[in-house]
Amino acid sequence: MTTAQTQGIKKYVVVYLALVVLTAVQFFVGYQNLEGGALIVRMLTFGGIETVLVVLFLMNLSTEKRSFFNFFVFFMLFVLTTMNIIWTDSFRLLVFRLTNTGPS
Amino acid sequence: MTEATMSHAASSPHTPQVFEESPFSIPSKKLAMWLFIMSDIMTLAACFAAYAFLRNSTPDWPRPFHSVTIVAVMTFLMLTTCLTMLIGLQAAQAGDKAGAFRWIMVTGAGGLVFALLHIREWMQMMAEGVGMFHNPWGTSAFGAAYYIITGFSLLHIGVGSIALLIVGIRYQGGRYKANDIEIMNLYWQFVTLAWLFIVPAVYLMNMAR
Repeated sequence: MTTAQTQGIKKYVVVYLALVVLTAVQFFVGYQNLEGGALIVRMLTFGGIETVLVVLFLMNLSTEKRSFFNFFVFFMLFVLTTMNIIWTDSFRLLVFRLTNTGPS
Repeated sequence: MTEATMSHAASSPHTPQVFEESPFSIPSKKLAMWLFIMSDIMTLAACFAAYAFLRNSTPDWPRPFHSVTIVAVMTFLMLTTCLTMLIGLQAAQAGDKAGAFRWIMVTGAGGLVFALLHIREWMQMMAEGVGMFHNPWGTSAFGAAYYIITGFSLLHIGVGSIALLIVGIRYQGGRYKANDIEIMNLYWQFVTLAWLFIVPAVYLMNMAR
């Protein structure tokens, strides 16, 4: 195995260990019976960090040309953000729940 | 160069063709995989948006999971296959054909074990009475959401494992090159990342109290 190969694998092992630790903490938090909002914020935070680690270092997006990096990141952030408009309507449904007894 | 001369240069068999330089400088197969991953992210995000809608608007959403030990084992397995895949890729890029083949096979086998554990998990849920449109605990939408979102992962990892085994065998046979292993690596890292989002959304946020 060459020195460059060993260096590359070292980087991957570090990212792998970080992902294992983050996931273990995620499971620990899952067992804490936290309320909805607090749990979602924590899970999304862990998910965000894991995404950055996987996409940048394991999928090697960090080594791609800057223009492709920008295309991927901004396009995906825009699409994923706008897609979140859909589910916020569920609050309306939760408050103004449709019932079987409609207006007479 | 005018439009007429460009057109002439492009059509003449004796002169080099004039093309716009690729803005991304990325091989076409790799770009195709990145675009596939981007479209797949959108599919998964749509599933999550629908799930979040159902989950948030349903007061009696079930919380059926008492223990997620098997899910933790599955997650650890998938993370480990990410590393074995990368070791295989490094070996392929260094020209170590035997090493690359061995690690790709380990990754594919890991994926198949994951798929088997996943099917076992489904069988347990079915044995507890969870179907697509009914379950013993609460809203009927739970089953549909559970099977569709986890099914996304099962389908991708199952198909990916078989593809890995095929690519590994063809790589050893000389038909595929290290670039093809790199493309499979992109896919494999993505399906693992998708699983890392599915676990908290489906299992950890539905733990029994």
